[in-house]
Amino acid sequence: MNRSPALAVLVLAVFAASAGCTDTGSERTTLMVIPAGSLLAPLEDVEAAFESQHPEIDVRIEGHGSIQAIRQVTDLGREVDVVLVADASLIPDMMYLPMSEGEGNYTDWYVPFAGNEVVVAYTGRSAGADEITAENWYRVLSRPGVRVGFSNPMLDACGYRAIMVTALAEEHYGEPGLFEAVIGGSFNPPITAVRTDGITTIALPERMRPADEKVAVRDGSIYLLSLLDAGGIDYAFEYRSVAEEHGLRWIDLPPPINLGSAEHADDYRRVHVNLGFQRFRSIGSERIGQPIVYAMTVPRNAPHPDEARMFVDFVLDAFREGKAGWPDPVRPDPEAATVYHATD
Amino acid sequence: MSLVRRACLPLILVLIGVLALAAGCTGTGSADDYPAWNLTLAGDQERVLTHPELRALPAAEGYGYSVSTVGIKYGPNRYRGVLLADLIEMAGGAGTDDLIYVSAEDGYLWVFDRDQVNGKEFFTFDENLREVTPPPLRVILAYEQDGKPLAYEDGGPLRLVVISENSDVITEGSSWVKWVDRIEVHRK
Repeated sequence: MNRSPALAVLVLAVFAASAGCTDTGSERTTLMVIPAGSLLAPLEDVEAAFESQHPEIDVRIEGHGSIQAIRQVTDLGREVDVVLVADASLIPDMMYLPMSEGEGNYTDWYVPFAGNEVVVAYTGRSAGADEITAENWYRVLSRPGVRVGFSNPMLDACGYRAIMVTALAEEHYGEPGLFEAVIGGSFNPPITAVRTDGITTIALPERMRPADEKVAVRDGSIYLLSLLDAGGIDYAFEYRSVAEEHGLRWIDLPPPINLGSAEHADDYRRVHVNLGFQRFRSIGSERIGQPIVYAMTVPRNAPHPDEARMFVDFVLDAFREGKAGWPDPVRPDPEAATVYHATD
Repeated sequence: MSLVRRACLPLILVLIGVLALAAGCTGTGSADDYPAWNLTLAGDQERVLTHPELRALPAAEGYGYSVSTVGIKYGPNRYRGVLLADLIEMAGGAGTDDLIYVSAEDGYLWVFDRDQVNGKEFFTFDENLREVTPPPLRVILAYEQDGKPLAYEDGGPLRLVVISENSDVITEGSSWVKWVDRIEVHRK
């Protein structure tokens, strides 16, 4: 064997590898999709189905909290094809704004595609699991020895929604002190739900650090699920789809408090949560109750707008059909899918 | 065949060396590799530290490994930087109930209490993201990752990092503020 051919082959192999020439999929278009965390599981299925129909497209999914998902486009200037969030109002609030580079807004439209509701998730080992019902859940969760978890409202929409649901429950059931018994009393000083002129306001501290073991606050839903599994908490406020997807038991809460019903939007609007500090310069720290609606958009500077619109249509179709463990379709008829524009 | 291998070895090593150099795999960065970047420390008084001034302070090193709110893991990496506790002392110290606001160029803000400044009250996880008892932790303002200046895409030139002596300890990424440009003590 002559040395030169061997070396030539080696050199070519090294350079080919370093240049990515061994990737047989290099001809595919990469579609960057950034969804909210509670959409990650459904989007894995959607991604597989979409890629099987469009083998020329490689969908890359990178999950974030909803606000962080939008900030990848706005504050961080990344090129993203599709953004999907768990709070539709964030898109007009944070993206109907002039781009820092280029002309026009980050986007001028969004399409709602699914809804969800807050439930109380638990396991067969949870304290009170054999007696909790949709009627007595708040009494079970109020017990001193029963441990309750929710995600950090600073980081996760489900976190401030857990606070809202508990405050709404206090009024709905006519049980003064319910909010403090389930959540507020575990902080020092206690977090209170203050009612003024028909509005209930909960002001959260800068650090969501409970003073006792009754309440656990974690960065995101997956950590609460892990705690539930390990028996570190008995109950967690979660989205219905997340509880279902993970095979947990859950208590459905009444529509006037579960943030899942458009008919009760006026009731929800009466609860306000003031976060302990403004985590992002680009969005304020007040959250007002409203129905949970998932929405998506294609940023104006998306590198692949045509493929992105195809993906959006595909998601709409997939969610219309729905699946166990997915957020519910917003409307049963895809023809009724509403696109909200900046001028609406 | 073995003759050919022996003959090729030096050339292969040279090639690897060239590629490693091209990929920036060698050694720690020189002072010129660090970008211009200032840190404002606001406590009893306000002062500005330049990047060279920060690097001249006593340094701490350890492993950092973080996880995002949706479970994406980043690391582990080896980090070097200045203890947050030392910076707070330079700002006049913090009382038991004081809070530390750490903010960044991109408009991000995260708030720490004094226990956290000293590495306490963090949640830690194993590789399967199950909670584990936290080992001793320290919080640093990192300027170096794996022996190189902390890259902008990794949150550099200055990033808050929770470190430990173990490479398999994962901490919540919400505390890992990227692009830090201001640390402020809020008196209670």
